[in-house]
Amino acid sequence: MTPLISFRDAGVAFGSKQVLEGLNLDIAEGEFVCVVGASGCGKTTMLRLIAGLHPPSEGVVSYAGQAIARPRPEIAIVFQDYGKALLPWRTVSGNIELALEAAGTPRAERGAIIANLIALMGLEGDGGKFPSELSGGMQQRVQIARSLAQRPQVLLMDEPFGALDAMTRQGLQDELQRLMMQQRMTVFFVTHDLEEAIYLGDRVIGLRRNPGRIGKVFDVRIGRPRDQVATPEDPEFLRIRRELYDFIRDTEREPAS
Amino acid sequence: MRQRDLLWGLASVCFAALLVFLWHLISAYRLVAPVFLPPPLAAFNALANGFEDGRLASATAETLERIFLGWLLASVLGIMVGAWIGISAFARNYVMPTLELLRPLPASAAIPVAITFFGLSDAMVLASVGFGAVWPMLLATAYGVAAVDVRLVEVSRMLRLGRFSYLRIIALPNALPDILSGMRVGLVVALIITIVGEMLTSRTGLGQWIMLAARSFRSADLFAGIVILGLIGLASALMLSQIERWLLRWRLQA
Amino acid sequence: MNWRGAILPVSVIAAAQFAATTYGIQSDALASPVEILASLLQALADGSMIRATLETLGAALGGLLVGGSAGILAGIVLGLSGVLNRLMTVSIELVRPVPSVAIIPLFMLVFGLGFRLEIAVVAFGVVWTVLVLTRAAVAGIEPRLLEVARVLGMSRAQAIWKIVLPSALPRIFVALRLAATVSLIVAVTVEVAVNPLGLGYGMQIAQQALRPEWMFAYLVWLIIVGWSFNYLLVRIEGIVLRRMNFTGPRR
Repeated sequence: MTPLISFRDAGVAFGSKQVLEGLNLDIAEGEFVCVVGASGCGKTTMLRLIAGLHPPSEGVVSYAGQAIARPRPEIAIVFQDYGKALLPWRTVSGNIELALEAAGTPRAERGAIIANLIALMGLEGDGGKFPSELSGGMQQRVQIARSLAQRPQVLLMDEPFGALDAMTRQGLQDELQRLMMQQRMTVFFVTHDLEEAIYLGDRVIGLRRNPGRIGKVFDVRIGRPRDQVATPEDPEFLRIRRELYDFIRDTEREPAS
Repeated sequence: MRQRDLLWGLASVCFAALLVFLWHLISAYRLVAPVFLPPPLAAFNALANGFEDGRLASATAETLERIFLGWLLASVLGIMVGAWIGISAFARNYVMPTLELLRPLPASAAIPVAITFFGLSDAMVLASVGFGAVWPMLLATAYGVAAVDVRLVEVSRMLRLGRFSYLRIIALPNALPDILSGMRVGLVVALIITIVGEMLTSRTGLGQWIMLAARSFRSADLFAGIVILGLIGLASALMLSQIERWLLRWRLQA
Repeated sequence: MNWRGAILPVSVIAAAQFAATTYGIQSDALASPVEILASLLQALADGSMIRATLETLGAALGGLLVGGSAGILAGIVLGLSGVLNRLMTVSIELVRPVPSVAIIPLFMLVFGLGFRLEIAVVAFGVVWTVLVLTRAAVAGIEPRLLEVARVLGMSRAQAIWKIVLPSALPRIFVALRLAATVSLIVAVTVEVAVNPLGLGYGMQIAQQALRPEWMFAYLVWLIIVGWSFNYLLVRIEGIVLRRMNFTGPRR
């Protein structure tokens, strides 16, 4: 089976600075891949390569066998800074509708799709509110709803819960897990929270830095649905967590730049 | 708290009335010659008479029409060119410097040039108002369109919005607060240039009205005209700020 | 301005000159760039342009002086006195929207034509802006500073002189710079409308005499004057604010 997304000797240089180097990675359809690494290791740049927001300086990043040169309709993104990624002058419904407008969905069909997504993301009753009237967690739900409105095959998430408080974060993690089990999407999830990565991922990629490259790959063989109380006590979880911590501490000893 | 504000407002209105009464006393005791300062009642009568026989009403209507048309022309032009400059690097590099060069030119300097081309006509007034009022709108739009947050640019790239959709859905709404404040300044300029234009062209309008009143020493008529011009300024500012409140309601929250 | 910005104006001027020399201009509305430049140089050489410039700038600065000081004074009084400020609110808001040019005929009656008319209109044009901004500057000073004054046992007069004014000064100065820009615009407008003085009148006369080369020479000169005036204002503002150690928000 051909992988859905693949990196072949991909690298990125900003001027003379090599940010990412020699990336080789295959992501299968339906897989949930988490990427962790010390700050400045190029996690976000890796995500932007898949998004088509940044071209690789060398090598190829491809989707279903085609090189990714620019953003594709099958790939959606959720940014960390929901406050900047939503249109402040549009209501919740209006923000979700943005993706439908862009895709050319006929006006008559939009209402039903939006209502579905609002229900799916637990935003009932907030459709007419502006982002500034919502909490951070609710705003991030809107952004996820908007990316789902794109009906993507691949969802890219750049530290989507990094700016939220612990309670909200756990709630959204579980909803994301539920969504992925329902919709069978492929997810590429960047985070700096190691527990979050193990809890959500089928696979966790640890990056080394300077230049950024893949250091270690962990397969997470824990069944789903996972649980916020039981899963972190699973021996497999604890084992991977220990190894991952050791790995990250090891990479942080390398010079930053 | 609200009640106290209301009381202060009332006191402030009473104070204004007191000032008008003072004005009445000054002219009643002829401390200032009535040629310069008519009694408030005379000014009010001139206002009432002018509207009754329709001359002042039609002058007001003509002036309002010129202001509005000129302002509309300037707004459409300013927003279109501003959007182009905001979105196109070519326009910013090649066209913007020329516009920056022309910007410090006082708007009224356009009037003699417009007279040369259009004579003493309505078209002249329209052209001058358009030229004078276009700058605040143009610069505000260009600024607001260019100042879209990087994140929103990326969102629109991910959604693969075309250039025109990007402008319509993201950039222009993003520039809306700037555009509205530009339109407010533009309205003031439109009012001023319209009055001067009417003074020069002697076409029916409030500018001509106050000029003729002054030339024939009818100070009551003159004051009536000034009062209406003040009211136009006040009403248009209030109206625009109401529209702005509604259009930018997403901002007022939180 | 970089070279790319120069392409458009230079090519427009070149095209105009080319058209003028190739086809010849028989027009009361247009003049060739060379003629315009010649007229400008001639007017500069015979002193008429300089005199008109001084008249316009003199009236603008005179009006700025009158309107600015009245606005600052009233702004300080209203900013300090809560009661008077609230009582005056409606009166000020009613008079403020009267466009400066609407007052031209009235002041013509009072002052006749000439410098006094122009100065008065400019003063009326800037006084409200300065008043409102000064009032805000004075009313908006850090309350902690006033507490300091009270702790130090200063009298009200001392507190105003030593604390309120110095801390409001940078913002008052910014208001004055804004007013200075407006003053030049209003002065030229009064000249274009009625007053036989300065650059605005020069343009009108040239237009009425059907001498487009003169009119455009005035226009070009007005652009230069407007540019230098604004440039100077921004420079002065920068220097003064730095002297005042103004650290508050800037544009």
